[in-house]
Formats: sequence, C-alpha cells, structure tokens
Amino acid sequence: MAAKESIVGSPALRYEGEAKVLGYAKYIDDLHFPQMIHGATVRSKFPRGRITAIRYGEGIPWDEFTIVTWKDIPGENTIVHLLKDHPCLVQEIVNHPEEPIVLLAHPDKALLRKAVDAVTIEYEPLPAVFTIEESEAPDAPVIWNSEAGDSPNVFKTYLMEKGHVEDVWATADYIIEGEYSTGAQEQFYIENNGVIAEYSEQGVTVWGSMQCPYYLHHALQLAFGLPEQKCRVIQVETGGAFGGKEDYPSVIGCHAALLAMKSGRPVKMVYDRMEDMAATTKRHPSRTRHRTAVSKDGKLLGGEIEFAIDGGAYVTLSPVVLSRGTIHAAGPYNWPHLRIRAKAVATNCPPHGAFRGFGAPQSIFGLERHMDLIAKTVGITPEELRRRNFLQPGGTTATGQLIKDPIDLNGMLTRALEESGYHAKRAEFAKTNPTSPIKRGIGFATFMHGAGFTGSGERRLNSLVAIEVDDEGKPEILVSSTEFGQGTNTILCQVAAQTLHISYKDVRIAQPDTDRVPNSGPTVASRTAMIVGKLVEDASHNLLTCMRASGLLEETYTPEQFCHAALAYKQQHGELRATARYQAPDDIFWDDDKYHGDAYPAYAWAVYVAEVAVDTRTYMAEVKNFWALQEVGKVLNPVLAKGQVEGGVAQGIGYAIYEKCVWKDGVMANNQMTNYIMPTSADLPPIHVLFEEVPSIHGPFGAKGIGELPMDGPAPAILNAIEEATGVRFNHCPLLPEDIFDKLANPTLISADSSQLQPAVAGPVFSGTTP
Amino acid sequence: MSTITFTLNNSQVTVDAPPMTRLLDLLREHLHLTGTKEGCGEGECGSCSVLLNGELVNSCLVPTLQVQGATVTTIEGLGEHTHLHPIQQCFLEEGGAQCGICTPGMILATHHLLEKHPAPTLDEIREGLSGNLCRCTGYMRIFEAVQQTAKLAEAGK
Amino acid sequence: MIDFELTRVGTPDAAVQIAAATPTAQQGATVRFIAGGTNLIDYMKLDVETPQHLVDINRIPDLAKVEKQPDGSLKIGALVRNSDLAQAPEVLAEYPVLSQALLSGASAQLRNKATTSGNLLQRTRCPYFRDLAYAECNKRTPGSGCAAIGGYHRNHAILGVSDQCIATHASDMDVALMVLDAVIHVQGIKGNRTIPIGEFYKLPGTTPHIENALEPGDLITHVTLPALPETKQIYLKLRDRASYEFALASAAIVMQVQGGRLRHVRVAMGGVGTRPWRMPEAEHALEGQAPGEGVFRAAADAALKTARPHTDNAFKIPLAKLCMIRALTTVTNA
Repeated sequence: MAAKESIVGSPALRYEGEAKVLGYAKYIDDLHFPQMIHGATVRSKFPRGRITAIRYGEGIPWDEFTIVTWKDIPGENTIVHLLKDHPCLVQEIVNHPEEPIVLLAHPDKALLRKAVDAVTIEYEPLPAVFTIEESEAPDAPVIWNSEAGDSPNVFKTYLMEKGHVEDVWATADYIIEGEYSTGAQEQFYIENNGVIAEYSEQGVTVWGSMQCPYYLHHALQLAFGLPEQKCRVIQVETGGAFGGKEDYPSVIGCHAALLAMKSGRPVKMVYDRMEDMAATTKRHPSRTRHRTAVSKDGKLLGGEIEFAIDGGAYVTLSPVVLSRGTIHAAGPYNWPHLRIRAKAVATNCPPHGAFRGFGAPQSIFGLERHMDLIAKTVGITPEELRRRNFLQPGGTTATGQLIKDPIDLNGMLTRALEESGYHAKRAEFAKTNPTSPIKRGIGFATFMHGAGFTGSGERRLNSLVAIEVDDEGKPEILVSSTEFGQGTNTILCQVAAQTLHISYKDVRIAQPDTDRVPNSGPTVASRTAMIVGKLVEDASHNLLTCMRASGLLEETYTPEQFCHAALAYKQQHGELRATARYQAPDDIFWDDDKYHGDAYPAYAWAVYVAEVAVDTRTYMAEVKNFWALQEVGKVLNPVLAKGQVEGGVAQGIGYAIYEKCVWKDGVMANNQMTNYIMPTSADLPPIHVLFEEVPSIHGPFGAKGIGELPMDGPAPAILNAIEEATGVRFNHCPLLPEDIFDKLANPTLISADSSQLQPAVAGPVFSGTTP
Repeated sequence: MSTITFTLNNSQVTVDAPPMTRLLDLLREHLHLTGTKEGCGEGECGSCSVLLNGELVNSCLVPTLQVQGATVTTIEGLGEHTHLHPIQQCFLEEGGAQCGICTPGMILATHHLLEKHPAPTLDEIREGLSGNLCRCTGYMRIFEAVQQTAKLAEAGK
Repeated sequence: MIDFELTRVGTPDAAVQIAAATPTAQQGATVRFIAGGTNLIDYMKLDVETPQHLVDINRIPDLAKVEKQPDGSLKIGALVRNSDLAQAPEVLAEYPVLSQALLSGASAQLRNKATTSGNLLQRTRCPYFRDLAYAECNKRTPGSGCAAIGGYHRNHAILGVSDQCIATHASDMDVALMVLDAVIHVQGIKGNRTIPIGEFYKLPGTTPHIENALEPGDLITHVTLPALPETKQIYLKLRDRASYEFALASAAIVMQVQGGRLRHVRVAMGGVGTRPWRMPEAEHALEGQAPGEGVFRAAADAALKTARPHTDNAFKIPLAKLCMIRALTTVTNA
C-alpha cells in the first residue's frame, strides 16, 4: 500500500499552481496562431427596436474586412440553453442594448475598432421595460411572449407549496411582512471573455476561457448545422469565471467561429473591459416579498414568499437561476406551511446570467433580513428566533425533503457566535454606540446551499468520467469539468490518488477538449467536488477492478507495482481505461411539476457572522471582521477550501456594500473599472474560516459542494449587523453611503418608512408594509 | 519604429518597436513573454505590473520610449521550473494563486513591497497590494503568502 | 492610438520651441509633453487624446529634484515622481498635507510613475469623457453637449459646474497644493513666469475644453511652496473603498490654533469641484473663531452654498460638509 497519510484532506499543492506563479500558464490571449486575425462586435445602441438600415461608413477599407451578419449563419440563428429565443446575431428586432448585430474581423486591431465605430445602425424604436416593476405592470408593452403560454413578459414561474398556508393566518399572533431587493452584480473575473476559433473542412474548433465546453459544443452544432463530431471545443487556462463564463462563451464562441468560417483564418476575439462589463451577463436583480405568520413564542407557523428576478431580454439560464433561488428562499428552517410563488420576468436589459450562488444569494438575502425583522417584532433575539425554527435531522425542508444527515445547526450557531465573541460584542456595542459617532454592530445569517443540479437535473445530465493510463503508467483523469481557480484539477487528482493508493503527483488530468474528454457535465452548481468527484472515485475503483481482474494487480500493492501493472495491462490490451457514469441514488425523488421532493442530494450548512462599523459622520459602512463557519461534509484540501470561502465572502462583501451596477435604459452606465467598485486588499476585513465535517454518502470521502455557499451569507449578515449598529433597517443591497445617509440624516424619511416601526407599536398584528 | 535596448530579466535585449508601444505589448507581442497579463488596460487592476528600474509600474501605461536603457523585471525573471523564487513558492503553498491571472502582477507587487518593508505589518501589506485587484482569493491567502515569504527571509538571514 | 512623431528633448528651451504653435496642455493639443505618461497613455489608447507630436521631457536635467530654497520655500521639480515627493523629508516635515494627499491617490504602481507636472494636468475621469462611444462631451468635442448631465453622474462635481460640463477634477495632490498656495513656474515662448495655483485652473463655463492657464509652448518646470509658519495640517479623503479610488469628497486643511482661536485657516476640497476647490467662504467663517462644531458647521454650510447638484450626486453636498467638519474636528484636536 501507499503511504499511510491521507491525500484527501491534505493541502496538496495546486495542480497547475507552479505554472501560474511562474507566469507560464497560457490563457487565451497568450495564444497566437499563424495567420490569425482579430474579431469584433457591432452592438445595438438601442434597448428595443426594429433595424431599418445598417450603414458602413466612409474612410474604412471595407473590402479588407470579414463581415458577418445573421445571414451568414449556416445553421440555426440561436444560442440555446433552454429555449431558442436568443439569436446568435440580431435578424430584425433588437431586444436589449449591446445586442450583437454585425461581426467584423481584420488583422489590425486598431483599425478594427475604428471600423466598429464606423458602422451605424438605424432603428425604428419600440417601447421597452427595464425593471421587474415595469415588466409586470398591467399596461406594460409585451416585449417577450412565450409559446408555452405563460403570461407575457414572464419567462418562467414556479409554485412551491407545503401544507395549507391559508389556514395559518387566523391562528397567528403576528403577521409580518417585508420586501427586500438586490441589485445586479458583475462577476468581474480579471480575465475578460475570449476565444480563438478555426474553421476548415474538418469542422469547427474553438479554444477559449470558459466553464462548460459542452455548452459551447452544443451551441456550435446548432449554429453551424454540424454533427457533434465536427465541432470541437478546448478550454484553455481560464482567468476567473464565477458563472460569468457559463453561458456567455456560447455567444462569443459562435461569433468567432462564424468569422473564422467566412475569413478562412483563425480568429481571436477577446473583449476589452468596457465591452465585457456592458455586454455580458451579470447576477439577476431580484425582489423578495415575505408575509409570515408567527406565534408569540417565535415559531414560524407559515409563510408566503413571492420571489421575482429580472432575467433581461432572453430566457438564457433564468429558469434554472429562479429554481435555485426559489428552493433556497425557505432557508434552513422548519416551515409547517409555506407557499412560494416565483417568476423570472423579461426586461430590455442584456440577459442576466449565472453568478456564484445562482439565485440563492438573492432569496437568502430576503429571508435572512426578514428573520431579523421577525425577531425584532416578536421581541426575541435574532439568535433565539433561529434556534426555535432550525431544521433538525428527521425534519423536512420546504420541498418536503427529509433531513437524513445528523446536522446540528444549533451547535453550529453556538460555535460561530462563540468564535466571533458575538454576545460580548453585542453588549459592548450597546454600551458604546450611544455616545460614539461610529456605530458598531454584529449580525449573522444562517443558511444552506444545495450541491449539484436541482431536482432531476443530475439525472438528465447523465455525466460520464473516464480515467485512462498513459504511456508512463500514470492515470489521467478525463472530465469536461474545468479549472478556473476553484481547484477542480487538484481535488479530482487528490480523490483519484487516494482511491488508487498512489501518489498525488502521479495523477494527471487532461485539458478539457471535447474530442478527448467525456461530458462530465458543466462546471457549475457546486457539483464538481461532490458529483464529479464521486464519479472520479467510482472510475478509480473501476480501474482497480479491471486491473485486478486481469491478475496483474494484487489486493495490496505499492505505487511502483501499480505503475508496472498498469503498463503490463496496456501492453496486453492496448489501453487501460475505466469509466463511471452518474447513477441517481435510489432514495432521491423529485417531482418537477409539484416542485416537491429531494431538491438536492446534499446541502452544505453555514453560519456567517459580520462585525461592522458605520461612521455617522460620513455614512460609510465598513466590515471590520468576519467569521464563516460551514459544514461541508469533508474538506478535500484545506488551503483550497479556505481560499474558496474567503473569495466567496469577499464577493459577498462587495455585493453587500460596494458593487452597484447602475442602469440607464438598459445600459450599464458604470462599465469601467474606475467606476465599478470592487473591494481591494485594503477593504476586506480578516475572514476567519471554520469548517465542520459531517460526511455525506453522495460525495467522495464525504465531500459536498462549497463553491457557491460563501456567496449566500455575507450580504444579509452585513445588513443585519448594520441594522444592529444604526437601528435603521435597510432592505436593499448593495447599500452605499448615500443610501445610509438618506435614512440616517433624514429622520423624516425614517418615520415615514413603516419598516422602522418598533414591535411595541406594532401590536399583535404587525405589517411591515402598511403604515 | 525605433530601436530600443534595455535589460530584461538580467539579459540585454534590443527590439524594434513604435515608441509609443506599451511596455505590456512589447513584452507580450514583440518578446513573447506572456506572463505579464492585461486585465484592464487603464491602470486600474495591476495585473500588468512589472518592475521598471526596481520600481513597480503598470506596464500598460509605460510607453516603450521610457524603457530605453532601463532595467525591467517580469514574472519570468523571478524564478523558473524547479527553482521558484521564495515569493512564488509561498504563493503556491499558501494558496495565493487561484485562477492565476492576477498572480504575476501580485507577485511583483509583493516583491516591491518586501523591498520597501522586509517585515511588513498586515496594514502595510493591505495598503501595499491595493493596486492589484484579485477577484478569487479575497486576498487572505495572498497576505499569508507575503507574511510567509517575509518570515522565511528573516529566518534565512 | 494614432500615429505621431516623437522627439526627446534635453532642455526646456527645446521643449518650448517644439510646442510653441499649439495649446499643449488643452484638449485637442497637437503637441503634448510626456512625463510619467500614466494619464496620457491611457487617454491616447482611448483616442481621447490624439497628439500628432509627443515631446518626451524626461531627460531634461534638474527637473526631478526637491530643493529647499534660501527664502525657506520648497522647490519641487516638474518630473519629481509622486511616490518620491510623498516621502521627501521636507514634505513630511513641513507640508504633511501634501504627503497625505499623494499617498491617498491611485496605487503604488501609478505613484511610482506619475509626476508633479503630470498630476497638475491630470484629466478628469468622467466616464463620458473617457468613452468615445458617447458623442456628447463638450470637453472632448466643444459644442457636442454633455452626456453626464442626463446620464449617470454620481461621481460628478457640484461646485464650479456649468450647463456644459460637470466633470470632476480628479487629483488629490492639487487639492493639497491649493491650501499650500503653491506657485507654478512656467517657461514659455516669452520667457519664464509664475502662476499662483489659485489662478491656474479654469472653470468649465462655456469652454470646458480649456482647463488651465497654460499657453502654447508653456512648460511647467517646477512648483514652489512658500515657507509656512508651524501649522496643523490634514488631508481627509472619503471614497467608495479604502484604497485606489478617487475621492467622493476630500478636504485639505492648513491652520493654526493660537490662544484658542483659529488662525491662518486654509481649506480646499477635492472630489466635488470642476477644479480643486479652495473655499474662502469657509476660511472666512473660521478665521479668528474658537473651534467647535457650530463654527465648523457654519463654515461647511458657507462653503457649499453655491453647490449645484444634479440627481445622482446630490448626496455630495451633505457628504462634503461632513467631510469638512470631520477634517476640521480631527485637525484641531491633533
């Protein structure tokens, strides 16, 4: 057997880390192909309208340019994820600003930019809507109509019900209402979207920065009308993604490929920062309305939740984002009765898309802010309210899922509050705040995040992984799961090494290339560690079984013996390869129509605590300290896991108090690094990361997904802390100094805002929305 | 076109380039050293940081004309395979690099910081690296890497 | 970026000669001096600046020095890097407000390149000015309109605005120079002359493309700071994040407290004006008074009386007042 120490759980060095710290790692813009030219996009300046003319201005040698419009698309003019409403290039009707209309390619990048500016497009304007409220207004123009027969301007609705909520209102001691909203957020990967495409008789090949090679692979088949074997997608080193390179590479990838086809040369398209920020996807803006029935001892009796997200101009991934947001809207609490109505609406903004958390940060923000309001109303502490309502093993979630794992949310809350010194600080701040211009506060959020695709998603994905032994006798993992900083390469190699009883350094992982790797599903939804990791473990076992069956490998062996046996097997059989395909666990049941059942195979659970200071002389809020406690099944790699949590918390802090996307008629008005405020190293507080491990049977060595989890908790924890500090409720993130100023400096606004009503005033029936 | 001679990573190089070519493009396109990354092209992210005569600068804002006769150090000049610079080793071990796109600039900023403050306080690190944006790490692993490098240097004295 | 000619000069005379025919330091200049280049390169890449001739002044000797003069004033060469100036012993000792302002600006990378004269001529970061996709910008293209007034202007100016331009002056250093009564020394075609910093920056008015008092050929050679009696100084900057960000509002203050009274008070603000904004109304309200919140508030109210906000930046009026009061409180207690 190999060395006794466990590889899983050890801080194995990042697989591609050396190349990254040496500057050797090759990202898309580092690649250069012979004869390569550059591509650029002419985009709409209008939110909605009919194109009446496209004019190519003077002073540009147009005959030197490759020009592509929708007419050049050999297959279907669509970028499909769920519905075919999203064109690859506009044919006639523009539905959002920055929509791609014409593609240009030329060897000279500077001239290319001038050419883009020289194309003018004339429109006959059509009425447009830009917010959830405008989209759902009774007299709103119809900007999107479903063939499926949903209401106009509505991409998708869900109705999720548990019990009979209509029965609880009469028995409630308190009925508490609140409305919460969140803004869009830019993923802000430091490497912009970029691809290189090549086209020949053999087919189309795209190299690029991306999360999901098989998404683009599918998009190419449709746009080019080619069979799958004639389309090839290769992921290269990817400089951050966070969801922002889940669906968008299908757009830029098809565009570059069209230019490559028409020009006959390789075409590189790399967006600059302004274009990337203005034109590509962001986190969905949202609105959550709560109406909750509560007993006088602080038990949640039942609730109604209305959750709405702004999907932008096309469906893209909005139904899936909505689904995750809907299921997470109920949080880690026991709801005897609950009804959630959710909808994704159309607006004439660029389509919103995937961003770490995928709908959950939005609805969890609403719920965790609302929980603090409930506590205040009932007159118990936020801590006590949660303790009285936590899900327990044996209980059921809002979708009716039985909690089988021995989770202990009370214990986690106790630990997080102790580690953060919560009680002492609360007492201290209550004493010091009245006389200090700097108001300090501490708040928290408790939440969970489901790992893997929702409901029957994993069953549909039907993921496949393979392990193949190379000519040196070293196993190579073949998956379409991509590395973009989270640690995919490293943890999958750790899992294989541990299972195969060989050294971590002896395991390899293939570059994701659809000609080589099977489809192990997209790298999204906190699924890679748990779902793909488990498949790598299974494939490793299958590899061993195969080697043992041949008689070449004993029950126990050294790494050297493994290597010899593998090479001997190859010599005899030509190749040594094992696969594993996803099999839905027998005890997982999901009903897509009723939105009922086991929404996710497993959840990670968390308590996040934020300590803030609000300077009442400047109205600036600052996070001073942060504690992130999570139960993740098994920490596969402590350094990487910490890094994932810290990075997610940092993005969550940005979401809470820094990062605002400003929209003017569907255009992102602050699409420059200089006016979109991302936290720097000087802004972030110490982030204390704490783990608990309750192994799950669904993941390798018990591991569950953690990628998205850390994005969910910071915003509500921080705004809860700001309310503790200032006594004023803020129900929207991001919360900027001028928002704090508006309420703190204008007492009239506070008194006019019923959300400031104190529980004593509210009496037994309290409403947060009617004065 | 002008001919520019300068010292790059301890070797003298001569290149013909238009004088307003950005140092970033000179390195990446003319000299094929792609370790220096472009994040924004406007001096806002620090990904393209290099050392120019020992000072940390954004190479996207340095015209080649200012490089004549100068000494330039890029990420490729710090370490190599099997012989990582201590900063690189610490970034690798402490998890300072995730997606890696800000890493070369961040490592050069660390180099500059440690030259000025061999035993930096946490506040000095936070301020010293604030010209380099990182979206993956939340900076905590990077701070660890910087502190670890400083510790090793102190122990090695 | 367009094609252009490049000349390296070794003397101020040579620089002035080449630039004599063009408004070197105004929008649309066909000849531009280049020093650190942090601002110019960025704007040339964006085609906001399109000079046909660049004059590299980095090799002019003696312009990179900080020297104490016999009369007690401090002479700061045009090519002194911001990072060096911030750490110069004379600045740290006698003009700490300048050091604080410099260190609060930009990042280490930018401060290592940016120079004194370049910072004096720093262009606005108005996103509409920066982005050629917006045709309307009176500063970039006189007479074309102002996209900021009807656009997103949270970061824009509330003082010194006109109906043609509301772009904020972006510098921190220049705000400190305002309260230090800096004198800008210029060599031009008619010889040498000096411009008090208070007269250096032009209001946008109907000519937002003319930003300063420089004439064709003018080369800034150095800046002098008059000797100061012992004073309390502060630069306080409020911004959206703790580092690497322009001011929403900043205050530079120099003062003395003698016998419980404020003397020699000078106040200027950044982030709120179309130029670095000296506030004589505040100074008048403070001079000779005993420090106290009421006095500070009155001074802040007086200073912001003429502010003209638009929809997104109205919060800057109270923010600027808070900033000034906070700075005054801090500095008088120092």
